Amino acid sequence: MSIIVEGQKGQRYLLMGNEAIARGALEAGVSVAAGYPGTPSSEIIENLSKVSKQRPIYVEWSANEKVSMEVAAAASFAGLRALCVMKQNGVNVGSDFLLHLALSGTRGGMVMVPCDDPGALSSINEGESRQFARLLEVPLLEPGDFQEVKDMIKWAFDLSEEIGNMVFVRSVTRLSHASGNVLFGELPEGRARAFFKHDGFILDPKEGIMSPAPVEMKHAFQHQKLKTAVERFETSPFNTYTGPERPELIVVTSSACNLYSREAIQLLGVEDRVGLLKLGTTWPLPPKLIEKHLRMTDRFLVVEEVIPFTEENLKILAQELGPQVGHKTIMGKRDGHLPMVGELNPDLVVNALAQVLGMEYKPAPEAYTKRGQELIFFGAPNRELTFCPGCPHRASFWSIRSVLEMDNRQGFVCGDIGCYTMAILPTGFSTLKTLHAMGSGTGVASGFGKLKPFGLDQPVLSVCGDSTFFHAALPALVNAVHNQSDITMVVLDNSGTAMTGFQPHPGLTVDAMGGEVPAVSIEAVCRSLGAQVRTSDPFDLQTTQTTLMDLIDEPGVKVLILRQICGLSPEKKMKKKFDVAVNPEVCLGESCGCGRLCTRIFRCPGLIWDKARGKAKVDEVICAGCGVCASICPAGAIEKVEFKEVA
Amino acid sequence: MSSVQLAHDPYNLIIAGVGGQGNVLASRVVGNMLSRKGLTITIGETFGGSQRGGSVMSHLRISDRHYYSPQIPKGKAHMILGLEPTETIRVLVNYGNPDVRAVCNMRPIHPVQVISGELGYPSLDDVRNWVRELSRESWFIDATDTALTMGAPILGNVIMVGALAGLGELPMDEADFEQVMAMTMTPDKVALNLKAYEKGKEMIAS
Amino acid sequence: MQVFGPNELQEDVLKKGLCVGCGACVGLCPYFKTYKGKTAMLFPCTLTQGRCHAFCPKTEVDLEELAQRYWGKSYEGTPLGEHQEIVRARAGDRMGPGPYQAGGTVSALLAQAFKSGLVEAAVLTDRQELVPVPRLARSLEEAARCASSKYMAAPTLAAYNQALAEGLSRVGVVGTPCQVTALAQMRANPLQRDDFRDAAAMVIGLFCTWALDTRGLIRLLADRLDTGRIKKMDLPPPPSEIMVLETEDGRVEVPLSEIRPLVPAGCHICPDMTSEWADLSVGVVEGQPDWNTLIVRTRRGRDLVEQAKADGMLVTEPMPADNLANLNLAAGNKKKRAWARTREDGLLNSDGEGRRSAIRVPVRVVESIDS
Repeated sequence: MSIIVEGQKGQRYLLMGNEAIARGALEAGVSVAAGYPGTPSSEIIENLSKVSKQRPIYVEWSANEKVSMEVAAAASFAGLRALCVMKQNGVNVGSDFLLHLALSGTRGGMVMVPCDDPGALSSINEGESRQFARLLEVPLLEPGDFQEVKDMIKWAFDLSEEIGNMVFVRSVTRLSHASGNVLFGELPEGRARAFFKHDGFILDPKEGIMSPAPVEMKHAFQHQKLKTAVERFETSPFNTYTGPERPELIVVTSSACNLYSREAIQLLGVEDRVGLLKLGTTWPLPPKLIEKHLRMTDRFLVVEEVIPFTEENLKILAQELGPQVGHKTIMGKRDGHLPMVGELNPDLVVNALAQVLGMEYKPAPEAYTKRGQELIFFGAPNRELTFCPGCPHRASFWSIRSVLEMDNRQGFVCGDIGCYTMAILPTGFSTLKTLHAMGSGTGVASGFGKLKPFGLDQPVLSVCGDSTFFHAALPALVNAVHNQSDITMVVLDNSGTAMTGFQPHPGLTVDAMGGEVPAVSIEAVCRSLGAQVRTSDPFDLQTTQTTLMDLIDEPGVKVLILRQICGLSPEKKMKKKFDVAVNPEVCLGESCGCGRLCTRIFRCPGLIWDKARGKAKVDEVICAGCGVCASICPAGAIEKVEFKEVA
Repeated sequence: MSSVQLAHDPYNLIIAGVGGQGNVLASRVVGNMLSRKGLTITIGETFGGSQRGGSVMSHLRISDRHYYSPQIPKGKAHMILGLEPTETIRVLVNYGNPDVRAVCNMRPIHPVQVISGELGYPSLDDVRNWVRELSRESWFIDATDTALTMGAPILGNVIMVGALAGLGELPMDEADFEQVMAMTMTPDKVALNLKAYEKGKEMIAS
Repeated sequence: MQVFGPNELQEDVLKKGLCVGCGACVGLCPYFKTYKGKTAMLFPCTLTQGRCHAFCPKTEVDLEELAQRYWGKSYEGTPLGEHQEIVRARAGDRMGPGPYQAGGTVSALLAQAFKSGLVEAAVLTDRQELVPVPRLARSLEEAARCASSKYMAAPTLAAYNQALAEGLSRVGVVGTPCQVTALAQMRANPLQRDDFRDAAAMVIGLFCTWALDTRGLIRLLADRLDTGRIKKMDLPPPPSEIMVLETEDGRVEVPLSEIRPLVPAGCHICPDMTSEWADLSVGVVEGQPDWNTLIVRTRRGRDLVEQAKADGMLVTEPMPADNLANLNLAAGNKKKRAWARTREDGLLNSDGEGRRSAIRVPVRVVESIDS
């Protein structure tokens, strides 16, 4: 029972932004939805998968974002409405395909929903997808609240079909992962029919071939499409103005910043002085609409995330319209009123607005704020990110670090993206020494592995997860084998795409919609590529270390697959394998011979330090019962007893 | 539009805790309950690091008018539901003000740096005193311990929701609670959660 | 002696390349491990004082303290250290044929020690291909398999720590000067722990001018021979300028000029050629390949020698004067080099100040070197 299909037309429901997008896609009659897991976008595909039996849709978790775009585009070429979903990085991954798709055009509506992460709440970058709309020269929409997040999807599909090209609807974490009441529309009936017509006149966008060539001609068509889009933008219901007819200042905003800006105006009580121009169609900016508002006042404050994208586009128009409207002062990021870095929030916006209006704003009485600052250090100790109790990565990195230290040649690990990214922190013993994008760990390692002639004799390792392996590590692995690079690739196989919520991937026997499918074997792929392959259970520290020790000494490409299911996997959840306890009589605690190895270095949240007794202790509420800590205790004070199946 | 009178519009509620405590569930339940009264709800949450031992907050904006930003502005919280002692302090320092009210669950969850000995964890007496200093009214309940006696520590968050209802600041009905829980849970689970909810109401009254 | 912690050990010894891999720090805790001849610290330890630092022969060895403890007198800094007598020795007829290194004295002494029940196990150095491996031998047969010199810096003392952990109380140890020095520190209970035990029932020290880094040696020899087929290693005394390796496929000679760069830096600051802190010290006799030099230092060492002779396991004869003089000269030179090097590197502590050093000696010893 899912609210996004059970919900009735005309009723309001409290939905997460991503759920609203999923409902919006259903109301628009989407037939195919594809994506790759990435926070904050993953719930869109997850929600659609859940209802894939009740609605006439096909939902896919593709091997990576580029493939997901290709899959969605195919549906569009066959006349179906297709949705493609990703986090901001995904647009980068697929941009080569998009570049060509923008020229070839689309048929059935194709809507791209990139979910950006300003402030990098769940990313290691805060890149923007809006730029790509400009780069690719396709229309860009930004919903400004939860109702729009749903309603824009259908509008975007209609627009996409009208112009014959993809349309971007850009969301952000603070809409995708926030919730608000949404009024539902109607769900269409019937299943769309797919047919790819290709034998008409070669250049006919609806009956010819889907190709970006001849480039200049197609590029010119593309500009015609943009012109049509701009005409629709001029009258779009998603561009709204609230405020006085002759405001002192107009705040120009879009996306979640709309909510911050509206609130900021209210907090200062300047609704009668400041207007709010909320733009839902942010590229290209509709010139007539902009001109109308440029005439209303001379001062503007642009509030957006992350780069001054709309600010710059607005300035271009203001320049061009200068002779008609006069000189305008457009404030925002470039002049320092708002930061160039990080996400915005109501406080940053209200402070900027107050400054522009020459007003003072205090969130709370000074005495209160001051007292709070005094208390925060002792009252609220920092919560460092950590691997979950029972996480196989903790054990894997324990072994990797031990082996590299024993090897004593300053070996290092090139990191990749997943839960194991946290191995750059103490929770993973600070083992990762380079960190970039999906698949980059093995790519960078492939490069390091060719530096022997330059005197580099440090062992080179890379790590990647089972999902990352299929997403992007394959070409890097092929590269390493073919170019005879000396690397050891460690595949951390926890049977799922864990960081984003445990979605399936090609290495598993289940697909997005819960169906049974053939799994692609990581071992078989690596062997057939010509790498030396070994497998080990990371919970078996001894065997894993011995195996890894042997491998790093050998030349060429070695793959060590460390296979153990994620502690949070639905299969495993809540089931402890061992009952684990510390024997306080045997525990050495802080003395020489132990030095609190388990609580100071291993740092599993399930093991806590009992300061009063000077001994370690297992917190049964948090302990996941994996038993690895028992292997590392130098005194053998941690006892584990296997839970027997009760008949 | 509803017929409800809110003490403030928007009424700003923060539910704060540690990833894994059921923070998100609690905020959805409260949000859905109030939504049924015709109110417009905006909820903002911190995800991502939440499963991995990090601090999590849910900001609820409860209004009769329209959406608000998913983050409550600093110093503008009206009510704080703290599922963990130091998380309550953390949220009070950033979002509290002399008029804020706070309900605090007193079961500590040690951050990894406390477990490793790098940082200290304050005494619960200190926490109580500081929470009192930073709020107009405060209540301290042992929600997790009570939940443990009921058989599942995760019920702690539902007990806290019950406590919030018991305070009477917001239009929260038992009937709405049951209906909302029934949306995603089987009848026997609903019954267990209802018990927890009622326990919360009891605990706050005493 | 000043005792610091594992961080100081990392800074002063491991990172400075002074580690000779003796194994004294291995097996005490989970942080130090040895692999293929190198000792590494796996994770950081925050203790300000540790046994690792106390035992290490490269972090402040207080020679005065050791001399007082073992000899009941001040440290004099003589070339051969404190001793009762020096003879030449070889395995007796009761011992039977080899393989022995030189005269087989160590093997004979060990055999006697096992037979008489003086020891229940022996801490020795075994070899796997070209990697020295600590061995806790529980019988004479096991011990016999470890006969023959290795010439590589070996983590032998890890086996002593293992013996203590297993609760053994009568252990014989055969070690090089650095290992014997470390053992002497271990036996002094520097951290005054309640769980301290001295299980070393007999300490037999070897002569050593320098040792070789295992990994360096493996790299050097990898393309000259199959390291799995080495039967014996030998460094004939001067004027020989070669190292000899007897393999299943024949004899391989390597010029010392190629070997010398493999000497760990820690050897250059070592003042001890004859294992001055052992009960008995055994080495070669120049020009007499079938004999050993045997230095008797303690009463219990002497007792073992007398027993072994009485049982026909060991034969001794007076030491020729020339050989003795040469021995003194060689040992004295090693000491001189060590004092010079430690002073140069700021590692010699003679004024008792609080800075971290490798060796502490009384001022008068240093002065006597200068004169």
